[in-house]
This record gives sequence, structure tokens and C-alpha cells, in this order.
Amino acid sequence: MEGRIIVITSGKGGVGKTTATASIGAALAMEGRRVAVVDMDIGLRNLDVMMGLENRIVFNIVDAVHGRCQLRQAAIRDRRIKNLFLIPASQSDNKNVLTPDDMIRFSKKLRSEFDFVFMDCPAGIEQGFENSVAGANDAVVICTPEVASVRDADRVIGLLYARSITPRLVINRIVPDMVANGDMLSHDDVLDVLSIELIGLVEMDDRVVIATNTGTPLVMQKGSAAGEAFQRIAKRLNGQHDLPIIVPSASKSIWKTIGTKFGIRR
Amino acid sequence: MINGFFRRLMRSSKGGSKNVAKKRLKFALIYDRLEVSDDTLNNLNRDIIEVISRYFEIDKKAFKLDICRYDDVSALVVNTPIIATKHKKRAKSKKAK
Repeated sequence: MEGRIIVITSGKGGVGKTTATASIGAALAMEGRRVAVVDMDIGLRNLDVMMGLENRIVFNIVDAVHGRCQLRQAAIRDRRIKNLFLIPASQSDNKNVLTPDDMIRFSKKLRSEFDFVFMDCPAGIEQGFENSVAGANDAVVICTPEVASVRDADRVIGLLYARSITPRLVINRIVPDMVANGDMLSHDDVLDVLSIELIGLVEMDDRVVIATNTGTPLVMQKGSAAGEAFQRIAKRLNGQHDLPIIVPSASKSIWKTIGTKFGIRR
Repeated sequence: MINGFFRRLMRSSKGGSKNVAKKRLKFALIYDRLEVSDDTLNNLNRDIIEVISRYFEIDKKAFKLDICRYDDVSALVVNTPIIATKHKKRAKSKKAK
């Protein structure tokens, strides 16, 4: 069976594309699928450190696309999660060393080798975006509940539609208490302006920072709200379309309220 | 805690800053999607003032040009206070020129 290539994009930088790519990829591999996550941010690679695989890079995507190595040589196997592979970006080139045509050719190889391939798209809508989108079947757009991020998401959604790709949306870094206070756009507000299918809601989670510090996939951390949300997104991408989308809710527990007052919990 | 309760009450009556965010976002998207540049809008602004000024004396500083969105359609809304109607004869003679 042919694999699917899914591009993870946002337009704006710093909204959590790389975290999402690493987390959804790891979660799908844990579901038993053969998964590759590809860092398309050539010149500014980061997915490798996010996954804790930065010490094992020998070849990169540019080597594989230009035929300097085999695809299997460039794909680093994660030793903690079975069936999870990373294809790192090159750190010494710029985005123009690859072209969309290169990527369309390369994606055929990727599809025959993996069940799911996630393209971690760089910020912006220039060459890096073009290359990431070229071979993709599907797209997941990440945004945060902020004006700048939603605006850029809208632009990217338009560009994806122009390439006959129907994207789905993940809203990241939701702070339920702020939404409850009316100081943060709710997911309904965002969907109201974007009109796009939702695939997941992820709340703000300190454990993302901890996972990044240690290079451990977020979905391997127990009790991480964001990790669980990414797991559900992975399940939905894996065909469980009826899995309900859980809206992060403000905890109303009296103990948490008191805890927050005294700075014990947040 | 009581402070927080009152703050929450105040906020819910005002609606919180997210309403401002949503309004700004909607406007930004309208401008983005229509792909009208500031230059185009400024030129349109100037031209409309010019045309209206042939017939009315208007307060140019209070003149307002907006693009509003109602569900699926975008509308151009022009709002201007009229100070006086220009004399018909003068308007006609100007037209004749």
C-alpha cells in the first residue's frame, strides 16, 4: 500500500510545527505504523534536537534527494519507538538546493518506504514551503489563538487550496482559563474566521518545554495534556475519524483554585 | 479571590480582550483576502472625496471609507458628514466644463 505524505505548516514561525511533527509522528509509530518525519527547514534544522537524535546524523535529506546516499541511509531509526524514522535537514545548505520537482520525485520513494511521512515545513511561504508542499497528499495547519497566527494560517490555507490540498487545522497552546475569562480567542472564534475542518485542540503544557529540554518525544511523557492531544490527532489521521475532539477546559476544582492562589499549582 | 471574582464579572460584562482580537482579525483577513493595498484604498479615498466635493461641501477630515463584511459579501461603506449642498448652478456650470 502507498503511504501518505502530510505536510505540517503554519505560515508563522514559533507556533509549534516542529513539536507537532515530532509528537504526531511518534504517536503514529506507537500505533504501529511505519513513520518518517522529515525536517524541511534546510539551513536551520531543529527536528533532530526535538527528538533527541542530533548525535546520530550522518546523511541528510539533501544527500538523499541528490543521490549521494540511499533513502534508508538518511533515515535515522529512533531506538525508543519502533518504526519511527527521522530524515534530518542539511545545516550547511540553503532552501534553494532543493526544488519542488526534486521533492515530487523523492516523495515517490518516501511513499513506497513508509506508511506516513510528515514534512516539517519551515516558517514562511517561500521556497521552503513550496518544497514541503510539492509532494504532499494532505496538510495539517497549526495555529495558536492569536491574531497574527490565525491571519498567517488563513494565508497558508488559501495557498494550499490553490494546490488542491484540503488542509485540516490544529489549534495549539490554548490556555483554558484565559478562554474562560474572555481574554483568548476560543476554538469557535478561530473556526468562525477560518472555516476549515478541525482535527485537534492542544492546550498549553509546560511539559513541552521539558520534553524539548531532554529530547524525549512528548507522547512518551505520562500525563502530558498536550501529548495526549497529539496522540488523539495521530489516531484521527490513522483513520479513527469518529474520535471526539476534546475541548481543553478550565479546571474548576476548588483545590486547584486554592493551589493557584498559593503558587503551588498553575 | 473576591478580587478575581469581581474581575471576572467585569470582564464578562465588557467581553474581554478576545473580542477586540476577533474584530481586528476579521478586518485583517478581509483586507488580505480582497488583496487591496493601502495605496489602492488611499487613491479610492481621494477620488471619492473629489467626486462628492463637486456636489457637496463635506468635512474631509471626518470622511470614512470602510470595507465591511456580511457573511459572504464584502461591502464598501462610505460615511461623510455633509456641511452644505453646493449651489446647483455652480455645480451645473462645473459639470458643463
